[in-house]
Amino acid sequence: MSESPATMETGSWDVLARAAADRSEGEESIVLQELLAFGLGGDLYALPVERVREIVRLRPITPVPRVPREILGVISLRGEIVQVMDLSLRLGAGASEPTRRSRIIVLHGDEGEVAGLLVDTVSEVLRVSDEAFRPNSSGESEFVAELCERDGAFVSMLSLEKVLSIGD
Amino acid sequence: MVARGKGGSRSKAHREFVSEAEDILERMRDDLSVVAEAVEGGRDADPDLINRLFRSAHSLKGLSGMFGFDAMSDLAHHLEDLLDALRMGRLPLSDEGLGLFDDSITVIADALGETDDPEQVAATESRIRGLVERIESWNAAPDEDAVESDSLHLSPSVLRALTEYEEHRLQENLNRGRGIYVVDVDFEIASFEEGLAEVSAAIKEIGEILSTLPSPGDTPDSHIRFSLLTATDLAVEDLAARLDLSVDAVEVGRLPRAADADPDPAPAVDSKSENAEPKVEPEVVVGPEASPEQPGHETTTLKSISDTVRVDIKKLDELMNLVGELAIQKGAIKQMAMRMSGEKLTERAGSELDKIHRALERKLQELQAGVLEVRMVPLRQVFDKLARVVRRLRLDLRKEVQLEIRGADTELDKLIVEELVDPLMHVVRNAFDHAIESEEERLEIGKPANGTIRVEALQRGNDVVIAVSDDGRGIDADHVLALAHDRGLVSREADLSRKEILELIFQPGLSTREEVTETSGRGVGMDVVRSNIASMGGIVDIDSTPQLGTTITITLPITLAIIQALIVGVGEHLFAVPLNSVRETLLVDPAEIQRSEGRELLNLRGDPLALRRLAEEFHLEGDSVHGKPYVVVLGMGDARMGLLVDRLEGQQDTVIKPIQGPIREVRGIAGATELGEQGAVLVLDVSALVEDLGRRSDP
Repeated sequence: MSESPATMETGSWDVLARAAADRSEGEESIVLQELLAFGLGGDLYALPVERVREIVRLRPITPVPRVPREILGVISLRGEIVQVMDLSLRLGAGASEPTRRSRIIVLHGDEGEVAGLLVDTVSEVLRVSDEAFRPNSSGESEFVAELCERDGAFVSMLSLEKVLSIGD
Repeated sequence: MVARGKGGSRSKAHREFVSEAEDILERMRDDLSVVAEAVEGGRDADPDLINRLFRSAHSLKGLSGMFGFDAMSDLAHHLEDLLDALRMGRLPLSDEGLGLFDDSITVIADALGETDDPEQVAATESRIRGLVERIESWNAAPDEDAVESDSLHLSPSVLRALTEYEEHRLQENLNRGRGIYVVDVDFEIASFEEGLAEVSAAIKEIGEILSTLPSPGDTPDSHIRFSLLTATDLAVEDLAARLDLSVDAVEVGRLPRAADADPDPAPAVDSKSENAEPKVEPEVVVGPEASPEQPGHETTTLKSISDTVRVDIKKLDELMNLVGELAIQKGAIKQMAMRMSGEKLTERAGSELDKIHRALERKLQELQAGVLEVRMVPLRQVFDKLARVVRRLRLDLRKEVQLEIRGADTELDKLIVEELVDPLMHVVRNAFDHAIESEEERLEIGKPANGTIRVEALQRGNDVVIAVSDDGRGIDADHVLALAHDRGLVSREADLSRKEILELIFQPGLSTREEVTETSGRGVGMDVVRSNIASMGGIVDIDSTPQLGTTITITLPITLAIIQALIVGVGEHLFAVPLNSVRETLLVDPAEIQRSEGRELLNLRGDPLALRRLAEEFHLEGDSVHGKPYVVVLGMGDARMGLLVDRLEGQQDTVIKPIQGPIREVRGIAGATELGEQGAVLVLDVSALVEDLGRRSDP
C-alpha cells in the first residue's frame, strides 16, 4: 500500500519487547507495553499499538447522513468501507483542521471490527513499563482514564471503548 | 498479537479436522432427515441409510479421538452403539430416537465451533455427558420381541456367511412375510461391476438385497458368479420378470420357509436379449449354495460418491471481490471511451477502446457467472433444518403438524442461505405455534386433524421466491388493528385496507400474541424477519385469509455479491440505488409537482406518486433550485415512491460492502461501494426509504 512508511511493523516491535523483557528477567520483572503516541490540538495522546491496524494519510471522506457529527463519513480502504471519526470533536474540542500531517489511525478490535480516527499527527511508538501508568486524578475527561509518564511528561491514555461507544 | 489471538492460534490440522467433521455431520444430517421422513410416513427406514449413519458415526469417533476430543469421541461411540442397536432391530426408531440424534449432532457442531475458552469447553462437555446418559438409558430400554430364528431352510454354509446384521435383516423380512430368494447371476469379469450394480439396483426397486455372496461353480475363467440373497413381496415370476427388464435373463430360486409347502424352484425365464452386454447366463439354484470361505459380501463401494470440491467461502469471497474490482475497472474504461469518442482526434481510439470494453465485459460476465455458480448451494440445507425444528416442535408441543417441502433443489448464494436460516425458522415456528389450531379446534371447524405447513421454493428470473404457507387460523385483521391502535402505531382515524393492516405485522412492537411463548422466541418479531431479509436485498410479503391460513412470501436475489446500481447525484454527493428496485426514471418540470397536505405528489399516468427529496431526507445541499430534477421511481413490492435527485450519473456494477465503524446502522443506508475515483459511495436502502414514507403518511 502507498502509505507503507507510516504503517507499523508491529511484529518487530513484538520481538524487541520480548527481548527487553528477557533481559530484565531475574531483576525486576518489567513488562513493556507499546503505545502509539499521536498529537491532537497540541496535546499528546496514546493508545495500545495492538489496537492499530494501519495508519493512512488523509483522503477524501464521503459524508454519511443521519449520524452524529463526530462521524465525518466513510473512506474506502482497498474496498473495505470504514467510518472515520473526528477525534478532536469527540473529545469535546473543536473540529480538526486537516493539514498535511493529518492521519487516520485505523483501529481493529477483538471481533475484527474496524474504525478510523482522524488525528493531527502521529508521532512515535513508545515502550513503557507498567509502572509508568498513573490514574487520571483530574477526572475531567471521561475519555482519558490513565496517564502515562514519559521522561517527566504525561501522555494521556485514550480510553478507546469510551471513544468508540458513540453509537450506543 | 493479543488482539488477534482468538481462534487464530488453531493449527491448520485442526482446521482440517473441523472441516472434515463438519462434512460428516452434514452427511449425517442429510441421511437423518431422509430416515425421519420415512419414520414419519410410517415406513421403515432404508437400512442402507442406517448403515451409512453408522459409518459416519464411526468415522467421527475415529477422527475426534485422533485429535484428542475425547468427549466428542465418546458421544460418537455411543451414537455408533445406538445405530448398531437400530440396525439390528434391537431398538425401534421413534421421534425420541431421532431427537437424540438431532441433539447429538447439534452439540458436536457446537463443540467444533467453540474456542479455547475453558468455560465454554466445560459447558459443552457437560452437554455431551448429558446426551451420553440419555443415549445409555434409551439404549437400555427392553428389547422388542426377539425374532424367531432358524425358520429358514438355508444351508449352514450360507448362514455362516451372513453377518449378524444380515441375519437380522433376513429375519426382519421373514417376519414381514416377504419371500426370500437367491438370485444367481453370472458376469464377465471385465464388466462384472457394472452388471452387478445394474442387477442390484433393479432388485432394490422391488425389495432388499440381504447379502451378495460370490459363488463358486462351473464358470469359465473369464466369468464370475454371484448369489444375491433377496427379499421381496413379489412372487417369483414377477421378480424374474422385473429383473428381466434390465438384464438378459436371470433364474430365480425361492428359498422355502419352514411353513412353506411349495419348495419348487421357479421356471426358467425367457431371454429377451435386448442388451447384449453384459452377458448374464441363466443358472438355476435348487439348494442354496454359498462359499463360506469368501468374506467379501459388502456391496457398498468405499469410493467417494461425491465429486464436489470443498472450497473455503473466504477464498470465494476474495475471488468475488476481485471480480467486483475488475467490474470497476471496466466501468472506468467505459467512461474513458465515452470521453474520447466525443472528440474528433481521439474518436477512433475511443471506439477501439469501446470494443475492448465490450470484450472485457463479456469475459467478465462469464467469470462472474462462474464464480457465482460455485457459490450456489441448494436450499435443502436450510429446509432440512426446518424439518428438524418441526420434529422438535411436534415433541415439545404435542401437536401433529406436517411439513411439506418443495423445491429444495433451488439454489442460492451460500451467504444468503446462511442468513436465511433464522428468519425462515422464525416464520415456521410462528406458523406451528400460533397459526395452526389445536386438534380439537380443527376438527370442530371441519379441518383435517393434522395441520400442514408448506415450504416451497422456486426460481423466478434473478430472484428466488420462498413461500411458507400454513392451513391455520389466518390473521385476525380486527385484532391486529386494535393492537396497533392501542400501541399508537396507527391513528384511529386512518382508513386502512386489509392488506395495509396485514402489513402492520412487520412493524416493530406489534406481536399479535399477547403472551410470548417459548417456541416463537422472546421479543423477536416479524419486524426482525423483514429487516433481516431486507439486509440481503430481499422483500417479505404476507397474505392471509381468515380460517384458511397464512402465506409469507420471501423474495431474494440469487446473489448479493454484485448488483447493478443507478448512480444519482444530489449537489456534490453521489448515491447508488440498487437497480432492481428502480421502476423508471423521469425528468420533471418543477411546475408539475403538486402539493397535498404538505406532501409533494406527481401525477404519474393518472396515479398519485408520493415524492421525497433526497436532499431533504439526508439534509444535504442540493444544487438545482432552478433546474429540472429527476424522479427515480422506486418500487418495493406493491409500494411506490418517487425520489427527487439532481442528476443521474449512469449505471454501474457495484459490490455492496457493509459499513464498519462505531455507528452500527444508519436508517436508509444499506452499505457502501467503491466507485473508482469517487471513492466510497453510499448505497441507499430502498425498502427503508419506502417504509419510512408509509410511516410518515400516518398522521
